[in-house]
Amino acid sequence: MSRELVKDPLNIIICGVGGQGNILATELLASALVEKGYYATVGETYGASQRGGSVMSHVRISASTEYGVLIPLGQADIIVSFEPTDTLRVARDYANKSTLILTDSRPNYPLGVLIGEASYPSMDAIVAELEKLSGQVQVIEATNLAVEAGNSQAANILLMGALTALPSVPIDVADYNKVLEQRFSGKALELNLKVFKIGYEQIKQ
Amino acid sequence: MPGGMELKNEVLASSTCALCGACLDWCPYIANIEDHLVLRFDCNVPDGRCYAVCPRTFADWQAISKKYLPDAPENIEIGPYFKAYKVKAPIGIEGQQDGGTVSHLVKTLMEDQLAETVLLTGSDDHITPEPFLSSEISEIKKAAGSRFLASPGMRKLIEAQARNVKKFAVVGRPCQIQALRKLDYNRKPDTPAMDVISIGLFCMWSLGWDFKNYLQREFPGEEILSIAIPQHGFEVTTDKGIHEVPFEEVKKFIRKGCDYCLDMTSELADISVGAFEAEKGWNTVLIRSKKGQELFDKSVSRGFLIFEEYPEAELERLKGASIGKKMRGLSAAQEAFDRGVKPFVDLNSEMYTNVKKLAEGKVE
Amino acid sequence: MEWMIIANEPGKTYLMQGNEAIARGALEAGIRFAAAYPGSPSSEILAMLGHVAEKADIYAEWSTNETCALEACLGASFAKVRSLCIMKQNGVLTVGDALHSASLSGVRGGLVLVVADDPSAHSSTNEFDSRHQARAAAVPMLEPVNMQEAKDMVKWGYELSEQLQQLVMVRTVTRINHGRSSVTLGELPQEKPSPAVIGEWDRMVAINWFKDAQIAKLAQAQEIFEDSPFNWYKGPEDPDMIIVTCGTGWLYSSEAVESLGLKDTVGILKIGTTWPLPEKFIVKHLVKTKKVLVVEEVDPFLEQNIANIIAYHPELNIELSGRQGQKAIPRNGELNPDIVLNALTNLTGKTFARPETVVIPQEEAVALPPRELTFCAGCPHRASFFLLKQTLRIHEGQGVVMGDIGCYTMGGQRAGHFLYGFLCCMGGGINAAEGLGNLSRFGFDQPVVALAGDSTFFHSCLPGLVNAKYHDSNMLFVILDNSATAMTGFQPHPGIGLTAMGKAAEPVSIQKVVEAIGCQVTVADPFDIDGTTNTVYNLIKQPGLKVLILKQECATLAVRKREKPRVWVDQDLCRGDDCGCGRFCSRVWGCPGNIWDYEAGKAKIDEVVCVGCGVCATLCPAGAIKMEGGKADE
Ligand SMILES: Cc1cc2nc3c(=O)[nH]c(=O)nc-3n(C[C@H](O)[C@H](O)[C@H](O)COP(=O)(O)OP(=O)(O)OC[C@H]3O[C@@H](n4cnc5c(N)ncnc54)[C@H](O)[C@@H]3O)c2cc1C
Repeated sequence: MSRELVKDPLNIIICGVGGQGNILATELLASALVEKGYYATVGETYGASQRGGSVMSHVRISASTEYGVLIPLGQADIIVSFEPTDTLRVARDYANKSTLILTDSRPNYPLGVLIGEASYPSMDAIVAELEKLSGQVQVIEATNLAVEAGNSQAANILLMGALTALPSVPIDVADYNKVLEQRFSGKALELNLKVFKIGYEQIKQ
Repeated sequence: MPGGMELKNEVLASSTCALCGACLDWCPYIANIEDHLVLRFDCNVPDGRCYAVCPRTFADWQAISKKYLPDAPENIEIGPYFKAYKVKAPIGIEGQQDGGTVSHLVKTLMEDQLAETVLLTGSDDHITPEPFLSSEISEIKKAAGSRFLASPGMRKLIEAQARNVKKFAVVGRPCQIQALRKLDYNRKPDTPAMDVISIGLFCMWSLGWDFKNYLQREFPGEEILSIAIPQHGFEVTTDKGIHEVPFEEVKKFIRKGCDYCLDMTSELADISVGAFEAEKGWNTVLIRSKKGQELFDKSVSRGFLIFEEYPEAELERLKGASIGKKMRGLSAAQEAFDRGVKPFVDLNSEMYTNVKKLAEGKVE
Repeated sequence: MEWMIIANEPGKTYLMQGNEAIARGALEAGIRFAAAYPGSPSSEILAMLGHVAEKADIYAEWSTNETCALEACLGASFAKVRSLCIMKQNGVLTVGDALHSASLSGVRGGLVLVVADDPSAHSSTNEFDSRHQARAAAVPMLEPVNMQEAKDMVKWGYELSEQLQQLVMVRTVTRINHGRSSVTLGELPQEKPSPAVIGEWDRMVAINWFKDAQIAKLAQAQEIFEDSPFNWYKGPEDPDMIIVTCGTGWLYSSEAVESLGLKDTVGILKIGTTWPLPEKFIVKHLVKTKKVLVVEEVDPFLEQNIANIIAYHPELNIELSGRQGQKAIPRNGELNPDIVLNALTNLTGKTFARPETVVIPQEEAVALPPRELTFCAGCPHRASFFLLKQTLRIHEGQGVVMGDIGCYTMGGQRAGHFLYGFLCCMGGGINAAEGLGNLSRFGFDQPVVALAGDSTFFHSCLPGLVNAKYHDSNMLFVILDNSATAMTGFQPHPGIGLTAMGKAAEPVSIQKVVEAIGCQVTVADPFDIDGTTNTVYNLIKQPGLKVLILKQECATLAVRKREKPRVWVDQDLCRGDDCGCGRFCSRVWGCPGNIWDYEAGKAKIDEVVCVGCGVCATLCPAGAIKMEGGKADE
């Protein structure tokens, strides 16, 4: 094994709204980890709808044993989120004072907001609360950067790039690129490799 | 001013709606098929055009009357008017209801360019009303004759606005003329005014659309050609002949919303036209404003219309009928009020007190 | 991933979804036949088997319903072909008769029935515990704790099935089906046996004559289970307490014991063969302790069967707790690590140092808008519900709507303007409507409308439609034909013209089927809101049975096939917050593509989400929503 785990198990939550592609992103991450010889388990929570509902994936990484697919409350080490209010919802349940949070800032308005019954909170207020709940918060304009790079759908891979850049995550660019190459080809592969790199560079080493 | 939910509660759910159509087509919440007019989804607009324009929501009707008909002497029975005439078109138009007066007033509007566009109500099958905007003299005949099924024709106002019509004319039932006036009366300062001339029809009631099914059941396979209401009853002419329908049967189909109506003669119109009951083929005309007078005069001078003095006895009969309707409407409104429906007129105003006094002497 | 389930790399470890592992296990066992009806969380299993069918030399079908699937497998089994049948918990309820009958007749070729339960009903209408069916039908049942065991159990299930000549159930739960973890591949068989000749006197007949044989098979299974490697005990020899667990409970319990430092005092008895229970094996371990906590998903099934064992064994002197009476674990809902941690803490008094967390008091916390489920952007169901709701309101006859099961079940929620008054199970809508519609003879005059999706139509509406037709019930049956089983991930059904193996098939026309039953049928486009509203209005005014097919392809499928038209808002035309619209597009239409530009106070299209169906452009009263390309570009 190339790197020791700073914490065992290392608990990562990847969340967002159905249709944003976090299931795929999570699967790729966990595959890369298994390729590297770690135990990785993934638990996915999503409802019946293809889109629109909250989707949350739990990834548990260990060097020694297999863990259950769900992370206990307050025990996420890293939260990666594609949607700000979902970041906060998940952080309230799973973050602790050393949790590191990476979140996109692009809102995906729930029905209640569209209908005008509920209002969507400001990003400042969300970040302020996230900071109280966790150890560190970094906002990444993943969707906007992905749109610039060619396709909003690639925001998921972009955030995986950022995640991979975190020192506690025991895979590197080459590991993730390898699984990308397994799954994609042609233009899609090119775009994913590109946004992955953009995401990676968002994290100040 | 309240909005859609109040309209729903006070008018639609209380069955006082007259189906004038004035609330339709602007607002995406209000929908209509046949004679159903409903809020298809709950609306949260606190201050709605629908409520402002509706003839069945509260308004100071006397103030409206004063504003639009300032010159004619007031009349408690049939509304302000200068003069009543017995009128007809010497050369009629096919399908006309009575004397063809309305069709020829419309022709005058178009010929003399008193209006660019006129709201008319035609029908493909001689029974189902189909409102349309017209600027063509050739189209007037499509509208000749009365459609006794209620028709939400005032919805076409939106189309007229969209077409940016400057000089508009409306042929409508009393409720429709009320809506037309009310819309302007409650108009927000930033919406442009339209120059409108209104020809109001007399109207005792209109019928629900189930009446069509009734006729189909009664006279299966027959094509309906026209419906007339001569003094002796209710006549349906079909391709097989003339049928007399007992009035007791027809009554079952009168729209609930018409029970509350206090206006038989289109008291807010520039000129009102009805049947001349005493002699077939003639109309009763009431001139209520200078605009109305001008239109009438032009029609006569073009030779489209001829007129006679209105017999005093007939005028008395007309007033009696109008007061009778007002009395029925007032008691229906009172009943509705008693069950919690917000009244659309001030039931205790001096005017209605006087109506009641008058009725005691006049209505048998 | 498909390549994984047919990779000939014994010993290689891959990250696999539970459903992938199950498919792999069946292939390792040498199945040649698989049949299923889609249902979350089980759907990926047959989907994947279908995709690899050719390479793996197997046959796979999406059956019309679960009973078709199970009985098709029985057919294959008759010719001694190994078969896999897959369904969700609702399915195992609908196949009740087939299951109980099959258990009497027994099987010839190995038959494994995988049932995916959905604790907490994440994507179901209930969280039925299918283990009750195994017990009621006297069928042996296995329950895996992780993806590896899911693969291994399915594989072993075939040996067991053929040894007993009985079908075998494998019960999984959402966390296994949709979870992922490492799975080490086994060998794939080189050759697959051909179907056996069925001799003149060979029989698979379900008659009560075989009840004794059925009981004997169960007894034999129990004997086999006493030594099963899927059952084990881990912990001290004289524990203060034993956790008896199965399924997901094993890993949650292990983690809780570890976290609370209870390894020396609490043991875990892991049971993989949950019906019939290995009684001797269980007694052997339970005598070591006086306290037992049972950790399992959904019902206290294991718990009650252990209570049953305790009742017959006076040597056991045990205080039992679990879900029953909520003594240790909530009676309702899915397990999670915290539930198990809390149960253990309550029973032992032990706690552990959790990481420091901050709880923000309610009044200081940011108010979060709830994320409700809704139809996808461009979903034809949104249009269907919109127009049905408005038509019933316009008609003013207080129409009653009977829902059914599919994506459109959401129509009973805000996404569908709370249209349903009634919801039961698949096919329940039309049957209930038939009954209600027949009350017209007693003066019931409210319009009655039943809905069903295209897949549900084939699954369970045909008998109901025949019933409604024969008895001329006063009702409108609306088939929401979106050419997909969208809810579960677009599996083809008989109306589509494609098989699970990706082969073309002649589609069964819903319209022709309905016509053949003798019904008057109308086909309309839900995207034509005004036109179809009139159509529905006229239909509900007519007496008797009417059938309407609302046909429009699932947006998620449609958008994959064509260039998406661009939809945008001309904000100069948009009436904004003023009277006349009240944000009709976003507030009432409610498509995720119709958002609000708070700065401008005007409507806006989220072009990332919009799929370009263009319906909102036809609804905007100000004509402010524009569309370019696609069909609305006239
Ligand atoms: C519902 C209804 C009830 C009536 N009740 C009475 C009554 O009780 N007593 C009485 O004296 N007169 C009544 N009338 C008026 C009468 O029937 C004649 O319309 C009127 O006398 C004019 O006759 P005419 O020959 O000049 O009309 P025509 O020259 O034939 O022209 C008829 C005009 O009426 C308009 N029209 C037709 N149907 C409708 C409709 N449903 N809504 C709005 N406009 C319409 C057409 O646009 C057309 O311009 C009623 C009319 C209607 C529509």
